[in-house]
Amino acid sequence: MKKSTRRVAFSASLVLAATGVVGISLPVAHAATVNLTMVAADYPGDGKTQQAQWDGLSKAFTAANPGITMTVNVVSWDVIDDKVKTLIATGKTPDIVNKGDYSAPAAAGLLYKASEMVSASTLADIVPTFLNNSMYNGTAYAVPDLASARALFYNKDILKKAGVTKLPTTYDELITVLSKIKAKNPGVYGYAVPMGPEEAQAEFSIWAGGNGGRMYDYTAKKWTINSAANIGAMTFLKKLNDLKYIEPNPAKCDRTACAQTLFAAGKAAFINGSVFLPAWLKANGGAGINLGSGSFVHGPGQEAVTLGVQDYFTAYKANGHQAEIQKFMDFLYQPANYADFLTAAGGFIPATKSAGAVAAKDPALAPFIALLPKAIFYPGDIATFPAVKGALQQSVGLAVTGNPAKVLGDIQKKALAAK
Amino acid sequence: MATGSIRRGRFGALPWIGPAVVLILVMVVWPAIEMIRTSLHEIDQTGIAKGWNGISNYRSLIHNPDLPQTLVRTLLWVSIVVVLTVLISLPVAQILHGKFPGRKVVRYSIIVPWAASVVMTATIWRWILDGFYGILNRILQDFGILKDPIDWLGNPNSAFVFLMVVAIFVSVPFTTYVLLAGLTTVPDDILEASSIDGANGWKRYKEITFPLLRSALLVSAVINLINVFNSFPIIWAMTGGGPGYSTDTTTTLAYKISFRDQDIGQSAAMATVNFAIILVFISIFLKVSKWRETSE
Repeated sequence: MKKSTRRVAFSASLVLAATGVVGISLPVAHAATVNLTMVAADYPGDGKTQQAQWDGLSKAFTAANPGITMTVNVVSWDVIDDKVKTLIATGKTPDIVNKGDYSAPAAAGLLYKASEMVSASTLADIVPTFLNNSMYNGTAYAVPDLASARALFYNKDILKKAGVTKLPTTYDELITVLSKIKAKNPGVYGYAVPMGPEEAQAEFSIWAGGNGGRMYDYTAKKWTINSAANIGAMTFLKKLNDLKYIEPNPAKCDRTACAQTLFAAGKAAFINGSVFLPAWLKANGGAGINLGSGSFVHGPGQEAVTLGVQDYFTAYKANGHQAEIQKFMDFLYQPANYADFLTAAGGFIPATKSAGAVAAKDPALAPFIALLPKAIFYPGDIATFPAVKGALQQSVGLAVTGNPAKVLGDIQKKALAAK
Repeated sequence: MATGSIRRGRFGALPWIGPAVVLILVMVVWPAIEMIRTSLHEIDQTGIAKGWNGISNYRSLIHNPDLPQTLVRTLLWVSIVVVLTVLISLPVAQILHGKFPGRKVVRYSIIVPWAASVVMTATIWRWILDGFYGILNRILQDFGILKDPIDWLGNPNSAFVFLMVVAIFVSVPFTTYVLLAGLTTVPDDILEASSIDGANGWKRYKEITFPLLRSALLVSAVINLINVFNSFPIIWAMTGGGPGYSTDTTTTLAYKISFRDQDIGQSAAMATVNFAIILVFISIFLKVSKWRETSE
């Protein structure tokens, strides 16, 4: 009697434990319905998330294509890389991803080609420069979603108070201008330099580029993080830091929470801003800033550059939904739907020729579109770029307060070791 | 005959501990095995396993330039936070054990840092200490103690000190309550008898209360040791291990290796080493405390 009770108790407890632990719902087979999953980064827009835009688009897509449903998961920029990586590592690979890089999964053979993602007519509408930046080993594995270019934004009122009438173009002129600003505007930082983890790689590229430096040498096929030009650019920034012309601890200063917030509060005179900065300022308490923009400064004997940044749609082969993915991507790039996407994202440069023709007439976008042919881009087509980006985000800011050659040398070591 | 009278079922106590054993196997043992297995695999940047590659992940971990200083920092982090937590909790528990008006309110209020979400607490502290808008700078400036604001979390040294302050702040309530429970087990009659025999307050504490608190002290110290060593949210929410790697412990470093350097294999190796470190910590600790027990 006792024995049998025990045995019953034992088996019952096992079953309980099993159901408790493995309490997952069994997949329900739908005969004709395919559900596409997508993970999308959240563009700043007007301060609202893009989830509503994606949900609206998904609904319209399902109405036009019965049998295909969409689940779009909008996540913030600071976690999207981690999120996608975790999904892939745990076997829950999404069908479509919208984020800032593509080379690592392309190198791993996980992606559909751009020509498989969208129809030939859609592909023909993509701006060639952007499609060229979506290649891996000569084949496009991503479709650009939009692009942005950077410009030097400044607070006109602060410059006026300091008696600055002409924008600086060289390192020396910048030093002179910043010293005037510091003298006349107590409590204001001359230049907001966001070298914190959020987007240190952008700030680094702009300063390095202005001194003739690049992250990667395509001729030698080698990372060049610690080139003389790059070290020179960081040494100049360190000088600005020592003179207290920039905010304290740039290595901790993130773009949004620190630099743009200081600028919106009228506490920074210059900032490297993206096309969406004016819209962001309006939505974040900086509507009263008297905004001007111009070119970045450059090092001795160098030319001014701008940084072009483009993001991507990538499609994963894991679930074999190629036909459905193509239907959705074509639907998204239809002019009306794509215009909605751009509006929700907020003030970016379109990636299609048709939308670009419209944007070229927009006075806010036109100067940036003109800058793009001369822009430098990230070496996003190199497979190890995500690891190098991560290393830059983590520590390149320390070059501004510490030893530039050593900090860049350490990152270079990591870049060469990345596989 | 004697053994026959206490009849054991075929499964012994298993029916009763079975569910717990299954849970431990699934929730603890299996992930640990998976972690060790991952650390011996080559994992590419996207997260796909490429097969076994021996100890090569451990080799890259040893050559990781950020590892040595992080190990030293982790040791400081654990020892300082645990020791100070216990040293602060001992008198606090003693005070709460005493009878005074409003004791109930004080006892409840001390739970708050413990009950509140650690991420929330850490985030609030981050803003208190913020260099541009922080209230700490405001107060110090208003009192004329500081002339210019200080970015407390921007300097590696002050950032690390404040991380430890917050870690102690959230650890003290739990420790205090464990010690308080220990204090209630100290028999009043022994204390009374000793005071009749002429022992003063300090002597009573040293000779009677403290020795009887030992098991509570041991429990709280071991649990704190594990908690503090594995503490991720405080560091992540306040400094992200930065600037650079200057406030990382091995726990946050494991995360960064995985998600910044994109090396999951090496990250698993770091996690496995963490696992080994904590096992060593605990066994040393238990050995030392056992040794004391037998020597007395």
